[in-house]
Amino acid sequence: MKYLIMCKSLTNAQRASLLLERRGIGAAVVKAPHSLRAGGCGYAVSLYRRLGEAVSILKSADLLTGKVYLRREDGSYQEAAADDLSR
Amino acid sequence: MIYLDNAATTLIKPVTVAQAMLNAMRSCASPGRGGHRAAMRASELVYRCREQAAELFGVPDPACVVFTMNATHGLNIAIRSLAKAGTPVLISGYEHNAVTRPLRQLGAKLLIAESPLFDREACLRAFEERIGGAELVVCTMVSNVFGFILPVYDIAALCADRGVPLIVDASQAAGILEVDFRRLGAAFVAMPGHKGLLGPQGTGLLLCGERGEPLLAGGSGSDSLLQEMPAYLPDRLEAGTHNVPGIAGLLAGIEYIRSRGPDSIMEHERGLLRTAVSQLRDCGGLELFAGPEETQSGVLSFRMGGMDCDEAARQLSERGICLRSGLHCAPLAHRSAGTVDTGTLRISFSPFVSEQELNGCCKIIKEMLN
Repeated sequence: MKYLIMCKSLTNAQRASLLLERRGIGAAVVKAPHSLRAGGCGYAVSLYRRLGEAVSILKSADLLTGKVYLRREDGSYQEAAADDLSR
Repeated sequence: MIYLDNAATTLIKPVTVAQAMLNAMRSCASPGRGGHRAAMRASELVYRCREQAAELFGVPDPACVVFTMNATHGLNIAIRSLAKAGTPVLISGYEHNAVTRPLRQLGAKLLIAESPLFDREACLRAFEERIGGAELVVCTMVSNVFGFILPVYDIAALCADRGVPLIVDASQAAGILEVDFRRLGAAFVAMPGHKGLLGPQGTGLLLCGERGEPLLAGGSGSDSLLQEMPAYLPDRLEAGTHNVPGIAGLLAGIEYIRSRGPDSIMEHERGLLRTAVSQLRDCGGLELFAGPEETQSGVLSFRMGGMDCDEAARQLSERGICLRSGLHCAPLAHRSAGTVDTGTLRISFSPFVSEQELNGCCKIIKEMLN
């Protein structure tokens, strides 16, 4: 399962991604899908596992600035539910 | 050629600077303008530079490190963010035109904390006496003409105490003296990339304690549906495509500074200053502007008897010495020191100026005087 944490800016995404990497959680900065960005262009952090831990790390560093999505097998996205955050 | 005009631009850079720029030109596209490999490579490089600068200057969040074209660009953003027509703005008597011209252009009310050269206590007193009427303080850390190190941390404490925002011009300090953003508590600190930070021309940094008002508007690669600049840093103040090769060079310069340490660079430049002062002090017909060691950085102004400073610089240039003459874009500093009618000659150092080169320069100056 691929997760996307939406970020308010590229720099915010880079900071978040580096923080997760430094905590041992593989993460990468990606251009956010257009359909998920109400304001237009933007960036997100993608990761494949430890979503709950990642969200908690970003929250405590004040770096969680956008919604969290999970990518379905058909390529569409849905907003992560509370259950997803325990993964 | 002996290059001693480092207060204008450092010419000799670490070899890694040009290499990094070339690599960036060959491999990096534009940050924030796509998700492909070349764009992401550029984004990573630019972020690394923000992060390195944030660590060097004690900025808590790399997003508060904004890339500018030079210190003047940063100062214009900072000044226009905090001053408007009629705003009473207190400045030191040693400011560059990069501060005074934007303030004049805005129609701000200029208050000048005048003080004698190399007298840090008098400088602080002048700020204490005049800050009551000010809504903004703008102060250079080091005079670009005389190398006078102003008591900017004391001035910052005074501003904090009186609740007056502070803009610091760190043009002659960055990479050489400690520039501690947290300790300064400044609204903005502006600096060039091409002087003490050893990056290329066309680069600069603005450290932001406030959000700031954009000087330019345009694409930021973010929130594109919005027709205002984004509310957040750095995007708010970085409209248009970044100077990625320049930033790559600046990153290499900052990495050099961090590996060598600003203290070691300052010690090297102080050593050169001591040498220059001891060799030139007793030359008849030469007037040196040298202060107590702790009050001066690696910048030394002088006048050669009655000789026109530009003519003296021309003659020195013919002998292979590159230095600066005239008013150095800082007439206010010359007024404070009493040299506005003549200007001065100025030599200025860098980590790559050797004692041998300086001795060569002093020898030629002495020969000219004789």
